[in-house]
Amino acid sequence: MLQQYDLGTSTADGLMVWLEISERDPVSFEPSSMEILSKAREIYDGRIFGVVFGDTELKPLYKEAFSYGADTLYHVKDKRLIDFHPEAYCESLRSIAERINPSIILMSATLRGREVAPRLAASLGAGLTADCTELSMDGSVLQMTRPAFGGDLMATITSESMPQMATVRPGTFPPNKISDDATGTVIYWQYKGDSFKTIISSKRKYHDEKDITEADILISLGNGIKSKDTIRLAESVAKKLGGMVSCSRALVEKGWFPQSRQVGQSGRNVSPEIYLAFGISGSVQHKAGIMTARRVIAVNSDPDAPIREIADELIVGDAENILRELDKIL
Amino acid sequence: MRFVVFVKQVPDTSSVGTDENGNLMREGVPSILNPYCEFALDMACRVKGEGDIISVVTMGPPQAESALFRCLELGADEAFLLTDRAFAGADVYATAKTLSAFLKKFIPDHDLLFCGRQAMDGDTAQVPAELASMMGCGQFYYTEDLVFSDGWKAVQNYYDEERECALKKGDLISVSKGETDPRLPSVADYIRASGTEIKKLDRVDIGLGTFSVGLKGSKTRITSSRPVSISRRGILTDGGDPTEAAKHIKGMVR
Ligand SMILES: Cc1cc2nc3c(=O)[nH]c(=O)nc-3n(C[C@H](O)[C@H](O)[C@H](O)COP(=O)(O)OP(=O)(O)OC[C@H]3O[C@@H](n4cnc5c(N)ncnc54)[C@H](O)[C@@H]3O)c2cc1C
Repeated sequence: MLQQYDLGTSTADGLMVWLEISERDPVSFEPSSMEILSKAREIYDGRIFGVVFGDTELKPLYKEAFSYGADTLYHVKDKRLIDFHPEAYCESLRSIAERINPSIILMSATLRGREVAPRLAASLGAGLTADCTELSMDGSVLQMTRPAFGGDLMATITSESMPQMATVRPGTFPPNKISDDATGTVIYWQYKGDSFKTIISSKRKYHDEKDITEADILISLGNGIKSKDTIRLAESVAKKLGGMVSCSRALVEKGWFPQSRQVGQSGRNVSPEIYLAFGISGSVQHKAGIMTARRVIAVNSDPDAPIREIADELIVGDAENILRELDKIL
Repeated sequence: MRFVVFVKQVPDTSSVGTDENGNLMREGVPSILNPYCEFALDMACRVKGEGDIISVVTMGPPQAESALFRCLELGADEAFLLTDRAFAGADVYATAKTLSAFLKKFIPDHDLLFCGRQAMDGDTAQVPAELASMMGCGQFYYTEDLVFSDGWKAVQNYYDEERECALKKGDLISVSKGETDPRLPSVADYIRASGTEIKKLDRVDIGLGTFSVGLKGSKTRITSSRPVSISRRGILTDGGDPTEAAKHIKGMVR
């Protein structure tokens, strides 16, 4: 078992980050992993360790990890780990954590990050704060802040023991390269266990489509949209603005959109520069997904629609007519 | 087969109103069975065969009994309420610890564990993986379907990948999809549920020390909180003229 230390007297040092590889392009990082490295560099003075899973195809990525602030990269090199095996990932991360004894472990609150982090935390006996939107250091104590109580409050949380663990909401921190020719050390790590899942079949989906979490502008449609043809209008507007079309769950349930386009608690958390909501009422579950959008502009026929509580502006009008006009003038 | 479903009672967010400052008003809000937990139970019920037993478990205050009653109506065979003053204030770690200690002691021989993807109120989705970790079993997040052909298989949806994986005895699945319109129990369901005793267990029954549970057993502390300072103003603009409204939007976006 990893020794547990009192925060005050701990000798734990260093910050460890799982750098997630993108599923859509296996030779690139999830952008959120670079966001975390950048934030880590900003708030943390000590050594920063990155951990990656995969085979030799990852070599071109070393440089990128260093350029965003990693000092040392642990490469768990195993062809079988190109596929996502949460149990094996967790065991590897744990054995690396036992080696370096970090005071902080971070990963993205992506779907996979949210699956691996708690498994790792439990096996290390560590506290974990999910989906943080602010991080700062107070001496050696990591202050983790996240939305709580349906988004009413921001709660700041600390860990009672080492390592201090958090997942970070993607899109929260800007990625910042420190230098293009930064270098560092690569350490190959071998996974000795055999906790592999039996994956019977796997379908990669939407591989040539961007993810809505990466879009700067989202045109988001809800139940206020009456005609399916409006989707084409919205696609056209989004294209002209360099954005993407997303939706509320109501339209996923109607079968108009795949679930990958759904914003909200059971869909994606998005942080675009501008979120344009057309005909979306703003349920608690929907609002939870746009907490970190830079600006929210809603178009709704109802001036009292709850989305107003989270919107910079509510334009009271007909969503489809306004979209049609917008498409004309762009 | 022995299936165990872990459930939670949550405030019904669809009926939570907001005050003039846009803050949620929690007082007097009815409690419901967390919808994702209901999905998990539904899935267990769907695959349940002759002679199989579905046990539901929750850790919570005495009132959480009503969530368990709902589970019994929906088809669970037995229900456990883990309730003790000392459980209050538990974070994810202390919660998972309590649930795993219960499981090891009371239902050590189980075939599959079911959890809902997340709680509507806590929204961290961490308990299933911490529980799986403490049980040393495999975990299958984002499961949308469970099939039996040549063994159990979970269909998982990671948005960018959909995959089917084989399950082993004792594995845990976290369910993310189900019927959105809650099922209405029949009179027969109600009668069967009313005749089933909900078993209550406290910390001593489960065999945990005070420093393993609740606030004392927690690994995290909330040190401060503040109201959300989203600088949203919620200005109302008249969009009665679509052309003008479109121009206005264009001005903001460009
Ligand atoms: C477990 C669970 C998880 C959930 N997760 C999510 C989630 O992740 N994401 C999500 O979105 N929802 C989620 N929901 C569903 C959520 O509760 C709402 O039902 C849903 O968000 C409503 O979608 P909507 O706003 O598009 O539709 P509605 O609530 O029907 O709102 C339609 C809006 O359109 C307006 N409107 C009508 N006509 C016009 C017009 N001509 N022009 C302009 N506006 C018009 C109306 O005034 C209204 O405000 C979840 C629910 C549960 C139980």
